[in-house]
Amino acid sequence: MPIFDQGYQHWSGTLSGHAWRWLAIARRGVRVGLTNRLLRVVMLVAWMPAIALAFVLCLWGLIEQKSELVAPLAQMLPFLVPDLLADPRAFRVEIWTLCFSYFMWIELYFSMVVILLVGPNLISQDLRYNALPLYFSRPLRRIDYFLGKLGVIAAFLAMVIVVPSLTAYVLGLLFSLDLSIVRDTFGLLMASIAYGLVITLSAGLLVLALSSLSRNSRYIALFWLAIWFVSSVVAATLDSANQQQQRHQAWQASHQRPGPNFGGVDYVQAEIDAAKTNWRPLVSYTGNLSRVGQEMLGTDASWEKLSQLAPPSQRAQFLFVYMGPQYPWYWSAAVLIGLFGLSACILKWSIKSLDRLK
Amino acid sequence: MHLEVVNQVARPVEVTPIVVFHEVSKWYGNVIGINKLTLQIRAGVTGLLGPNGAGKSTLLQMATGQLRQSQGSVRVLNRQVWNNPALNRFIGLCPEQDAFYEWMTGWDFVHTCARLSGLRRGEARDAAKRTIESVGMTKNQGRAIRGYSKGMRQRIKMAQALVHNPEVLFLDEPLTGTDPLARRDLMDIIQRLAGEGKSVVVSSHVLHEVQSLTPNIVLLNHGRLVAEGHVRDIRNLIDKHPHHIVLVCDDYRKLAGRALAWDDVEGVRVLADQSALMVETRSPDDFYGRLPALSLEDGMAIKAVYSDDDNLEAVFKYLVNK
Amino acid sequence: MLFQFEGVTKTYGAVTALDNLSVKVPVGAVGLLGPNGSGKTTLIRTLLGLIPVDRGSGEVLGMDFRRRQLDIRRVVGFAPEDECLFPHMVGVEFAAYAGELVGMPAKDALQRAHEVLDYVGLGEARYRKVESYSTGMKQRLKLASAIVHDPKLLILDEPTNGMDPAGRQEVLELAKDLAHNKGMSLLFSSHLLPDVEAVCNYVVVLGSGKLLAEGLIQELKRVHDQCFEVRLKDDMAPFARRLTAMGCSTEVQDDVLRVRIPAGHSPQMLWQAASDENEQIRYLRPQRSTLEEVFLTAVEHA
Repeated sequence: MPIFDQGYQHWSGTLSGHAWRWLAIARRGVRVGLTNRLLRVVMLVAWMPAIALAFVLCLWGLIEQKSELVAPLAQMLPFLVPDLLADPRAFRVEIWTLCFSYFMWIELYFSMVVILLVGPNLISQDLRYNALPLYFSRPLRRIDYFLGKLGVIAAFLAMVIVVPSLTAYVLGLLFSLDLSIVRDTFGLLMASIAYGLVITLSAGLLVLALSSLSRNSRYIALFWLAIWFVSSVVAATLDSANQQQQRHQAWQASHQRPGPNFGGVDYVQAEIDAAKTNWRPLVSYTGNLSRVGQEMLGTDASWEKLSQLAPPSQRAQFLFVYMGPQYPWYWSAAVLIGLFGLSACILKWSIKSLDRLK
Repeated sequence: MHLEVVNQVARPVEVTPIVVFHEVSKWYGNVIGINKLTLQIRAGVTGLLGPNGAGKSTLLQMATGQLRQSQGSVRVLNRQVWNNPALNRFIGLCPEQDAFYEWMTGWDFVHTCARLSGLRRGEARDAAKRTIESVGMTKNQGRAIRGYSKGMRQRIKMAQALVHNPEVLFLDEPLTGTDPLARRDLMDIIQRLAGEGKSVVVSSHVLHEVQSLTPNIVLLNHGRLVAEGHVRDIRNLIDKHPHHIVLVCDDYRKLAGRALAWDDVEGVRVLADQSALMVETRSPDDFYGRLPALSLEDGMAIKAVYSDDDNLEAVFKYLVNK
Repeated sequence: MLFQFEGVTKTYGAVTALDNLSVKVPVGAVGLLGPNGSGKTTLIRTLLGLIPVDRGSGEVLGMDFRRRQLDIRRVVGFAPEDECLFPHMVGVEFAAYAGELVGMPAKDALQRAHEVLDYVGLGEARYRKVESYSTGMKQRLKLASAIVHDPKLLILDEPTNGMDPAGRQEVLELAKDLAHNKGMSLLFSSHLLPDVEAVCNYVVVLGSGKLLAEGLIQELKRVHDQCFEVRLKDDMAPFARRLTAMGCSTEVQDDVLRVRIPAGHSPQMLWQAASDENEQIRYLRPQRSTLEEVFLTAVEHA
């Protein structure tokens, strides 16, 4: 027989409005996520690109100051065009932009890994352990529940993207000892953070939608890997096949039409033009994200300016090699918005039909 | 803890025991599941009780040939159970778990089980039809099991255990999740089978259900047999706890005075709000024997008599001592 | 008034879960009975404001369940039937989380979690992971999570399912204590009628989405005048024969003999018969229908 020596006391505190409920859910989700050792390791490793970024920015700061320390470096790295070294200040924004865009490109992959480790469990675990009655018999709406879960992903991605880039920015600033950098590159920082937000919203909602479809987290993790890898591979394959086909056609055409330029600039130009309407990279999910990032950070403009340094004859080639895909960015944005809408619909449908208390 | 004396039921043994465990033990590595169990189960309904982890499931699994005992012998219908698939023809098992082929209809399932038990095609069809009707599932036999409620599943489980007309039935928690209607139907089926001379062993946690089915119980705890037999006989043997008997009478105080004069009465408590007495005694037989004469005396009319610890629940509590 | 429904109808496609249901239930410990598929689960979901109803209106603790669902859920606690616990979570963390989800500040939630865990009797086990708990402990943790925010109404759905007798006893005691001594109203949905009888004083019986019976248990269990239930030491048949000879009508059911004595006589008749027959009467009480009979009658009349 239990002896109720403590007795039951009533509680007369106040309950907070349901708008803050998502915080409780997000906090718990983060705590649970952090118990995964692999995740902790990945997040630690995700700081290395940030350190590298900070290092490069510091280096650039020193180059700008034409400091003694970097002089030997200039000899070691002859590819750094003399024009650049003569007036580094003029290329500051471009170099920062390109550094940040490489950094974001790497962190995009880390984000995918983090989401792979954190995402699948978020809703499917609640389904597996039948915990939905626990949530929905309490005063919170579905939207609070989803925001809470999204908050978990946002927290982790913030730790992987936003905080490192902020830190690298500040370090680069410190080493340049030039406050005018803030004026020049503040927009870049904001764009990076906004890009982080875009990744969070898009990938976060997508993985939540997937997570709500099954009780078995492993299938969802596999599906996420598929979205990431398989779509990239398919896009690359299609692209490559397309490219081969175009080259073959160009080769054939040049055979029929004897002219002075066998391949050469004509051909490169043709490829560049074709790239403007090449839809194949849209198949890759990460490709879409990086295309949008490319637009938000303004890397195209930076490459254009850098290409001024190259001799005119090689400019087109230079751009073709270094610039990212050239199809209109709003195609990618449309794909991402479409996926966002699809995810929202899936979430709405799957949690409504699981509104049963059993 | 001092274990109570195990006593056989004190009535003439007319039939041979159907299920016999002799010095049976079962261990899993170092953990012991059943410890030197000697038990005989006869025709009729027998309740198998015990707290969680007492060894009830192990006992049922050994009796149906799913587990091999580490020591001792298990015989059903005077044949060894282990490695004797032919014996399954005479044994029916209604397990606790819900493990169906969800896509099958109720009819398919029972018919398949009938065929698996060795019945020929025509026989199996008839048996399936008959059994499904007896559990009241004729209306729903064409639906897939996937869509069945818990009560319907239990009925179909019972049907597959009965379809081959076994001699011995083992039912593990047959009434969980059933609503009172289904429960009444299933209990009627169990009583009917016992009336036909079969032996039915019902393992359950719900004591009042077992009490309505049978007074014969087997109580296990920590893998050992604690008590076996008629509930009343077992209660009589529990010396540690005197019987509490409540008498309702208008002049209860005078009755109390009379009761205290008897030797076997150890205590009397007045229940004024019920106009009753609660008497503690170690010899219920003597005490009850005196009541008719007492009640017929002047002014001593006893309006009601009952004992609140003469039931299965009290026996269980006293013996398992949680 | 604990809750009231007026003409509530809810259909899922072709299936009518609630059929023009109107019921007024007073505060206190209320049992919810009904065969499978009678609409009990739908009723509970409607109370919690989880599903929209097709027609009708109703209130829970004075709040309209169509409009003030969030407010209702603040004062209602729900312990569902199935497993709903996270196996790798520590017990007290789970209870605190349950409190936080209602809106309690994190510190309050943890303090309160410990308080309710003391009350339900989960001692040191609260620091272990839920996967190491027995069924009884899990039920108690579920109960604790449902009362952590001190609700005015506690809904228990089959709380004693699958528990061994000791565990069942504990949960029923807790429920009874909360309902009768601590001023919490209780809605107890179960198939085990003796459990409902032990805890509740009011009962609502549903069937096919309609209300079949409602009322205080004491009133529903009618006393049959001149009818008694008798249990003897030995065989009932000779005793029954003697009674019939004396003018009574007898009937055997399960292990009990039901006797109706003719008007104007008292139970002394039975004692006389026992004395004559040299029999011991071990149980004698005026016959009252059991809750099971009330239930079966209500369902059959539908």
